Amino acid sequence: MTTLQSHMDTVISTTELRKSFRSNGGPIEAVRGVSIEVGRGEIFGFLGPNGAGKTTTLRMLTTLLPIDGGSATVAGIDVARNPKQVRARIGYVSQLGGADDLATGRENLVLQGRLYGGDLASVTARAQMLMEILDIAEFADRRVKTYSGGQRRRLDVALGIVHEPEVLFLDEPSTGLDPQNRANLWDHVRMLRERGTTVFLTTHYLEEADALCDRLMIIDHGEIVIEGTPHDLKRDVAGDAVLLSLHDSEVMSRARALLEGQPYVREVSIEGDQLRLYVEEGSTALPQIMRILDGARIGLRSVSLSEPTLDDVFLRETGRSLRDAGANGKGVAR
Amino acid sequence: MRTIRDTGLLFHRYTLQMLRNPVWLFVGFSTPILYLALFTPLLRHFAGVPGFPKGGVVDVFLPGILSLLAFASGSSMGFSTIFELQAGVIERFRVTPASRFAILIGPILSGLMMMMVFNSVVVAVGYGLGFHVHWLGLLVLAVLLCLLAGLTAAFSVATALVTKDISSFAAIINGLNLPLLLLAGVLLPISLGPLWMRVIAHFNPLYYLVQASRALAAGSFANAAVWQAFAVLVPLCGLVLWWATRVFRSAVA
Repeated sequence: MTTLQSHMDTVISTTELRKSFRSNGGPIEAVRGVSIEVGRGEIFGFLGPNGAGKTTTLRMLTTLLPIDGGSATVAGIDVARNPKQVRARIGYVSQLGGADDLATGRENLVLQGRLYGGDLASVTARAQMLMEILDIAEFADRRVKTYSGGQRRRLDVALGIVHEPEVLFLDEPSTGLDPQNRANLWDHVRMLRERGTTVFLTTHYLEEADALCDRLMIIDHGEIVIEGTPHDLKRDVAGDAVLLSLHDSEVMSRARALLEGQPYVREVSIEGDQLRLYVEEGSTALPQIMRILDGARIGLRSVSLSEPTLDDVFLRETGRSLRDAGANGKGVAR
Repeated sequence: MRTIRDTGLLFHRYTLQMLRNPVWLFVGFSTPILYLALFTPLLRHFAGVPGFPKGGVVDVFLPGILSLLAFASGSSMGFSTIFELQAGVIERFRVTPASRFAILIGPILSGLMMMMVFNSVVVAVGYGLGFHVHWLGLLVLAVLLCLLAGLTAAFSVATALVTKDISSFAAIINGLNLPLLLLAGVLLPISLGPLWMRVIAHFNPLYYLVQASRALAAGSFANAAVWQAFAVLVPLCGLVLWWATRVFRSAVA
């Protein structure tokens, strides 16, 4: 049983959430036992390649898809039992957004607010305030058709928070945005957190998860791979990465054999013509690696030390690079 | 209460969307006028042909056009559903606490209203071509037209939600439209056809509307076709609306 204290602080909680879809080749298990705890006021990220089960999980939490197995509560309410009450307390911005092209930004916001039960006067005032906060007040009375990608995305976010929800769900919020608009959107999402909104987002952009999320979960093939703060994940799992360029494959396998046994080397892998080592602490490991290679008369073409990225975390946990796993035409950001 | 309020909001939204779409408005107004202008001249010599109902050519033909427009406006409703589904609009509404029935019926009612506007244009133009207006008959006919348009719209929207993509939706709707229209005697009365055609037509809801529309336009309320049309369309409309609401409630991926 959860105590009152933890209940108050937990805004999203799922236990062994499951979902499968029928298909021609038999059922596809899209989500296989996902358990999540998200605290109030957190920006929580769901990082994974396309098709990992992120959107499916999000759609279950937002009452758009029936839950096959396990349970979920959002804002203290059971999603399967009381979807209507959950809807009143959450905001959801899908990948598509879904604003009406032929209506103005203001018209879109006022309608959305009224569908959440607000009266015309308060909804109109709220719409004006949101457009000012999100820097779209200038275009309030223009049709959405004329908005740029970034303006449209900010309107989508405004539509998601018009009723002041406790939790905002963002599905791939920055897909299709250029770096400048992406950074601008991140600022706005952080601002929402400052105002007390809990934000749950999915992304396949490493940089987004790293820069924006207080805590994140990596999901792959419908299962949670690992969770933590971006900082802890990078530190604990990946260590630092040392990249060695060697002259040929024969030298490469000799170097690999030598270094694999070292206590401070966690993992060695070959990537193209480079040897990638994960080490606890790059600055102390590097001199030792150089000494060993020098002793074995193995010459280097180049050496580089890199801070770990979330991709290193993903690679270590799944054996694949997120950039490769996610690269299916949707354009994975660098 | 909540349902009525939400229905009003979504009715208003859909109406605005349509009115701001000039291409749609142009097609909406020109289609009935084209039918009248380019089809009635072909019918000049039909009056008096055995099997052709009594009355002037326009009096027989125009009610069919009204029925056709009601049917077409209803069955094409799903195309905008597909579009809104793919644009994320439906999902945006479904995640609000708005009544599911309102999300379904708001646009349908808006479609009915516009169908009535277009049909009024048909009657006005038809009047100029010699159509004998029987007001009370047309009023009762309006109810039947709304029943048929409402049920085809609900069917079309639900089919759109189930199929989710334009090509399979269009295949189903077009595949159904043609036989339904041909076997209803919309353009030419089915009474001109052989017995087997007249028998099959009795399984077509649109047939009952077309029969009743000709009777009502002539002001013959006592005609059996009138109560038969109500007996078929009222329960069918209820059934389809029930099914469509169910589809809306369950998953729309």
